[in-house]
Amino acid sequence: MASEVVKNGDDGMSKDERNVYDRQIRLWGYDGQNKLRATKVLLIGMQGLGAEIAKNLILSGVHSITLKDHTEVSILDRCSQFLIPRDSQERNRAKASLSAAQKLNPNVKVIVDTTPIEENVDNFVSSFDVVIATECSPNTYRRLSEHCRKANVKIFIADVYGLFGYFYQDVIFTHSLYGEVFSNNVQIDTVTQTKKMPQLYYLTSALLKFQSDSNRKPNPDTSEEDIEELKSIIHLQINYSSPEQENAEVDVFEEHYGELFCELSPTTSIIGAMVAQTALNTVMNKPIGNYNVFFYDHIEHEGKFHLL
Amino acid sequence: MAATIAGVFQPEVQNLIKESKVLLVGAGGIGCEVLKNLVLIGFSELDVIDMDTIEVSNLNRQFLFSKESVGKAKSHVAKNSVLKFNPNVNITSHLGDIMDTKYDMPFFNKFKLVINALDNKKARSHVNRMCLSCKIPLIESGTMGYNGQVEFIKKGVSMCYECNPRSEPKTYPMCTIRNTPKEAIHCIIWAKFLFNQLFGEIDEEVSMDERNDESEILSARNWAIQNDYNPKKLFKKIFYDDITYLLNMEHLYAGKNIKPVLLDESLLDQEHIRYSHVPDSEMLTLEQNISMFWDCITPIKEKWEKSTNKCLVWDKDDDLMMNFVVSCSNLRSAIFNIPFKTHFDIKSMAGNIIPAIATANAMIAGQIVIHALRILRGKFEKCQNVFLRSMPNHKGGVLVKDKCIQPPNPKCNVCSSDGEIILISDLNNFTLRQLEELVLKKKLNMVAPDVTMIDRVIISSDEDDELNMYDKTLAEVGMKHGSIFIAEDDIQNYKVRIMVHDKEKSGKEENVFEIINNTNDFHTANEHTNLPNPYENIENDEDDCVIEKAASPAGGTACDNNRDTRGEVNHVMVGKEDFVYIEVIEGVAEDIGIDEKTTEKISNEEVDAEEISNEEVDAEEISNEEVDAEEISKEEVDAEEIGNEEVDAEEIGNEEVDAEEISNEEVDAEEISNEEILAIKRKADEAVEDINDAKKSRID
Ligand SMILES: [Zn+2]
Repeated sequence: MASEVVKNGDDGMSKDERNVYDRQIRLWGYDGQNKLRATKVLLIGMQGLGAEIAKNLILSGVHSITLKDHTEVSILDRCSQFLIPRDSQERNRAKASLSAAQKLNPNVKVIVDTTPIEENVDNFVSSFDVVIATECSPNTYRRLSEHCRKANVKIFIADVYGLFGYFYQDVIFTHSLYGEVFSNNVQIDTVTQTKKMPQLYYLTSALLKFQSDSNRKPNPDTSEEDIEELKSIIHLQINYSSPEQENAEVDVFEEHYGELFCELSPTTSIIGAMVAQTALNTVMNKPIGNYNVFFYDHIEHEGKFHLL
Repeated sequence: MAATIAGVFQPEVQNLIKESKVLLVGAGGIGCEVLKNLVLIGFSELDVIDMDTIEVSNLNRQFLFSKESVGKAKSHVAKNSVLKFNPNVNITSHLGDIMDTKYDMPFFNKFKLVINALDNKKARSHVNRMCLSCKIPLIESGTMGYNGQVEFIKKGVSMCYECNPRSEPKTYPMCTIRNTPKEAIHCIIWAKFLFNQLFGEIDEEVSMDERNDESEILSARNWAIQNDYNPKKLFKKIFYDDITYLLNMEHLYAGKNIKPVLLDESLLDQEHIRYSHVPDSEMLTLEQNISMFWDCITPIKEKWEKSTNKCLVWDKDDDLMMNFVVSCSNLRSAIFNIPFKTHFDIKSMAGNIIPAIATANAMIAGQIVIHALRILRGKFEKCQNVFLRSMPNHKGGVLVKDKCIQPPNPKCNVCSSDGEIILISDLNNFTLRQLEELVLKKKLNMVAPDVTMIDRVIISSDEDDELNMYDKTLAEVGMKHGSIFIAEDDIQNYKVRIMVHDKEKSGKEENVFEIINNTNDFHTANEHTNLPNPYENIENDEDDCVIEKAASPAGGTACDNNRDTRGEVNHVMVGKEDFVYIEVIEGVAEDIGIDEKTTEKISNEEVDAEEISNEEVDAEEISNEEVDAEEISKEEVDAEEIGNEEVDAEEIGNEEVDAEEISNEEVDAEEISNEEILAIKRKADEAVEDINDAKKSRID
């Protein structure tokens, strides 16, 4: 892996760097900081969540970060994308974010890549220590998860829906692949599913199913129809997996539905930081290895890891 | 901005966001993140206030600032940075102190919500009182390293910031610092003392040595001046002659296993040894420390001569001043057979630097804004306090919350009218000036106190009232044992009843006053002790110290060495603590005390009733493991003590027994010094993995 090779025989930090990183070196030590300084990250998706993750990783002082996004800036980015200045002329999200991202820390190499990930999943990922993907299709997530497993590259897959957010991680390469946790079936297979799943798993699955079907996330313009659609997916899932309960849990997400649109800043802030810190811990040899999925429940305001 | 886009929020919420004016107090680590979140979600009327300017060490997390903005006002730069991604927000930035009287009740009344992103207890208490009296909801927050917390405060609904006493910084008995240092922290504090003696504000009352015969006293400063600050002469005086003097006072070390050993005389004439190539994370040799000492004296002296009033203030970011403290504390350590510390560690301890990272601040800031949305909708019951853990608990929780809103403490002397404070002091010696400065302003965080005794004003905040009674003692204005007076602060709209207990000042005792916050505590304290002097047991309240606590080890003072050989309690005097206690506020943007309150609160996290019984069994087993883990970590930690801490935790019904909390416990543990916290925290984080594994396997 890259971090093992990139040493350059010189791991001495400049005095400037040491001063900037002082408060975190006092937390994770010089060893930790030097590991970060050798870490190459691929970050896919530069909407609000991507901006948060980029900010946290660039501030921490990783070696380099590649911001990969082929899509155009949208008005919905204003809900949480703070790296794109309002007066930016750049249409591409990654390009529009570059200058503000680089300004966060001149010691980090910030690279922009505007090729769609679908076009170079296969060999591309192996040149990074950590891959973090956001805003891709569920199908792309599954492919990325498989490729990263093969290439022994740590991967985090994260999304925020309004005030709800989650991430998946594969960092010790022994737990389920993304596609095994979030399969594309309408019904969650109760035969193979022996574990009791946390409630938010059903919400996440439904959102992913919605995305596969509609080729987009739920949208504020069509909020009412989208909520109905989500409800029916969840209804199907839950009734199938626990038929004895019939309708009992259908309204469990009633409070959640109204706050599932765009990527909203409080939760991009929370998920973006949780993903970034978990990734940094992994790089510093302290992976949270017992778990593979994290949910932030904005109604209960709780953030929990699970092993699914 | 989310609230300007139709369909993102329900119309009701959308309007609340657009129309609610919010005050953000602090534009540091948490403040930057909160400001970004508020602006993105669509708040359009914001005030942000901060009195600080940007420093290089802020840049690893305070992302609205860049290298070019170092030295500028945080509040203004933060405002300009967020305007780049949203020019359509009306932000008023204030460079100033929130405790300034111009931020009065009418100012606070303009806001629907106040968010604290502060770094010190004094300002937090002040905003707490302002919001209580204006009945404005307040969100209080803090982070320390990987940990953090969000608290919701509203008069009559939830606990206020002052409902439970926050722990105070650890104090060190003077005699330990002067004569019997046992740990590096004692030598570091001594080195900062020495710096003040030589270059700082002259303080007649704190002398560095035991010589009581006035005629013999030649202060360190005068001695240094007479010898023109000759580095080698100073070295000999401080590290040889003064030690010889100590050794000649036989009673100091009789029956103790601590005894200084003079350094080899040959070192007095040693050659200069290079040390500048040694990284700050590596240990210097004795010889290198000596050279470092010699090298720093003259340039510091030159700086001192040029300074206004010939007075330097020790600064951890000044390389020379840092070198002075590093070399002096290590040299003293050598004499007292205490292991050396690295420059890096000494800077942490001497500057009381609290580690801080962007991610913890961002998570706390996210939760703050989620709370803000709930509060504006009046859903207070949803605003339980939330804690950010450094590692998942056994249920995978990282952001965990209290089970329910913590109700106000009916005995709180801030948010309840039933609160009462007991002031213990020598009425014949305690002056009204001391009452105002030390008790009311410093200890009770008042801004402009008025004091009334049975309708007679004895202290007035109104300058036109020329009472001129400041030099009078409490006895002289008519106070007796048991007298009650009222202290009031009109700015904070805060009023408290204070009962006086007379306690004659005995000989060498240096405590000027003590405070008991709650009548009940005082009575219980007395019931539990059969000591002839009921006040002796109060020591743990630590009222000889009035510095704000950030994250120092805190807990009680009870150093087992707090009596010198003559059996006299010899604590450091009130008002001198700036020299003794580590400055905890400096350079820290977002701190919390991981204090008793936090620990206690975590025990209130939602507990799955089913799991408790299993958990208790687990906890017991795990506690053994943890003790092992700590032993392996080779820290000077008394394993037995940790065991006891944990038993306590279990009794409280604390399900969250894991390494992270142990480290909290340790922070509180009296005997564990400041210096070990960082190391322990790091070790604890490592240990938690194993423990989690162990737990997991049992639970499964
Ligand atoms: Zn209170």
